Amino acid sequence: MSSIKQQSQVTQLSANKSGAIFGGLTILLILLFILDLFLGSVTIRPGEIIRAIFNNSDETTRTILTQFRLPKAITALLVGIALSISGLQMQTLFRNPMAGPYVLGLSSGASLGVAFVILGFSSDLSPESIRGFGNWAIAAASWAGAGLVMLFIMIISSRIKNIMTVLILGIMLSSAISAIVSIMQYFSNETMLKAYIIWTMGSLGNLTASQLNVMIVSVAAGVILSLISVKMLNALLLGENYARSIGLDVKRSRFLIIAGTSILTGTITAFCGPIGFIGIAVPHLARIILRTSDHKILIPGTILAGALVMLLSDIISQMPGSDNTLPVNSVTALIGIPVVIWVILHDQRHRDIF
Amino acid sequence: MKFPDLIRNHFCVWQGLTRLVFTSVILFSCSGNTMKSPGNPETAQKPIVSHAKRFKIEKIEGYSQVSVLNPWQGARDIAQDWYLIRAGEKLPSFIDTLKVIRVPVKKIVCMSTTHLAMLSALGEAGSVAGFSGTRFIYNDTLLQRVNKGEIREVGYEDNLNKELILKLDPDLVMVYGIGSESTGYIGKLKEMGIRVLYNADYLEHDPLGKAEWIKLMGALCCKEKMADSIFSKIEKEYNKLKSYVSVNTRIRPKVLLGLPFRDTWYISPGNSYISRLIGDAGGEYLWKDTESSFSMPVGLENVFVKALTADYWLNTGSANSRSEIVSIDERLSQLECFKKGNLFNNNRRTGKDGGNDYWEGGSLNPHIILRDIASILHPDIFEGNELIYYRQLN
Repeated sequence: MSSIKQQSQVTQLSANKSGAIFGGLTILLILLFILDLFLGSVTIRPGEIIRAIFNNSDETTRTILTQFRLPKAITALLVGIALSISGLQMQTLFRNPMAGPYVLGLSSGASLGVAFVILGFSSDLSPESIRGFGNWAIAAASWAGAGLVMLFIMIISSRIKNIMTVLILGIMLSSAISAIVSIMQYFSNETMLKAYIIWTMGSLGNLTASQLNVMIVSVAAGVILSLISVKMLNALLLGENYARSIGLDVKRSRFLIIAGTSILTGTITAFCGPIGFIGIAVPHLARIILRTSDHKILIPGTILAGALVMLLSDIISQMPGSDNTLPVNSVTALIGIPVVIWVILHDQRHRDIF
Repeated sequence: MKFPDLIRNHFCVWQGLTRLVFTSVILFSCSGNTMKSPGNPETAQKPIVSHAKRFKIEKIEGYSQVSVLNPWQGARDIAQDWYLIRAGEKLPSFIDTLKVIRVPVKKIVCMSTTHLAMLSALGEAGSVAGFSGTRFIYNDTLLQRVNKGEIREVGYEDNLNKELILKLDPDLVMVYGIGSESTGYIGKLKEMGIRVLYNADYLEHDPLGKAEWIKLMGALCCKEKMADSIFSKIEKEYNKLKSYVSVNTRIRPKVLLGLPFRDTWYISPGNSYISRLIGDAGGEYLWKDTESSFSMPVGLENVFVKALTADYWLNTGSANSRSEIVSIDERLSQLECFKKGNLFNNNRRTGKDGGNDYWEGGSLNPHIILRDIASILHPDIFEGNELIYYRQLN
């Protein structure tokens, strides 16, 4: 522990300063959340929305606010939190700045599940009866796919000593799964293909209240797991050998961290599709802003930054004032890519923090 | 160009003599003689194609020239010319042989079910040797031919079985264009020396224009007269219905179309085929004022607000019941048209593998589709009418 502090002392901010940063981020988060409620593809005057909040406006505005914008804003918040924490944990676990929530193949697992549901109809693989479940069927299939991959990775990681081997196997596995999905895409008809492709683009806007509840519970569980693993993450940052030497049960830590990530990422992917770049970019953003590698500070920082970036992406993807919308995945990528490029260009300085 | 029907007569007169070798000079002079005989003075001035925007047929002495215009989405100023010349007749010297199609076409490979419907209507289903997506065919006669192996599956797009097509040795492969010739399989087919004719019927916005493509099939099969009479029946029927509706209705119910993909709703623009049908059926499509050559992605929230005023909801895509719509998005059940049960899908005639006759036979039956939609929107003036392509969601 002490060596972490020593290592990052050069750039560490004072407690006061980081307190101010947290305060600023929180205020910004609240502002963006409200802005997300005010802006959407339908233009509604701010006054009208405020009246709707206090329950005296016309039915339509209320419906839009309570059934479209509020669930979507909450979803954005949860997605940002979950994926950013997952990304942070994976980057620390693999000691690799380019790792992200999907590095273990969770998204390919989820996409395989979804492909079975959506594309399966045209290739006669899935029974007609699933059709009636709509969104829930997609979420369940996605969960099952991600869960299977998670199980596989867990088994491997409990047998293999070197974590890099786990990383390589994760990448291999996801390539293999992608190949299967490609074959299914190849043989499916256009409508199904379109439905699948749109799933891969990610969406925040069609969760029902019950699905949102499931998501809140899972994200809360994942966040609690990540808070439990703060010490392990800090120790792992210095390498598994070091962690072992200070008495950490490395395999158990791996298990906890992978489980937390899988719950977070699996749930988000199930309901919103694979949403890219947030998980890779936000942890770096948090490190840059907070100038620390201590997970006690980084995890709350990542939570705030993740929620912020995702809300911003959602606002942009709605393209306020226009009838059209953009897929949210493209927006997160366009925000995420500059961050990643910045990380690469500043690698030297960045190493210190990482 | 000036005397299309006379030339057609000329074809019939000379049909038996095509094996004889004539010089083109003699042919022209013969047709010149027949021109003077009193044939069809009325139709002589009318262009052969009147509603379709994407093709033209011109009758010139001894052959007809077909131009397919802008055959794929986004194409600009592209005209693909073909010369349809009777088998055995000598080619006029100025014609590029690569652009010649010998008619009647005896063996054809098609890519779209609309092509099949039109060939069937002309009694030429027997000339179909290969098809892309045989399991999506609805027509029973054609399906039987598929089962007997008389129509072979040629595969899809880049997965096209080019060897099989080469072996089938068709006179013509009729494709629909997603992109230009250089993209995908079309260039390859051409390289193999196969005649590839673009059929752009799916790009026609006018329902009658779409049906009019039967005239191209007629020209290819040397059944112009039959194609003309089929089309004029459709045209007459369609216009009769259209004026019946406009005379007898005052309110125009508002219509919502389609189904969202997650939180995006792809909206057919106001200049689309279906928007035209709804307008002619006495309805008002919610997005009738939009114009685009593609479906437009619109946010769910936006569609929802607009859809609150909709009286009817048509073409619900993959949803076959109200409960499926609820499972896709619960919020949609709050729409007035949903509560009233005014939901109709265009898949009454669907085969077991999902082949939908609305797209197949329907392309040649715009008048029947029009009657379906009009009777849905205005049940009072269509009492006792039975739906053919549409069905109500339960």
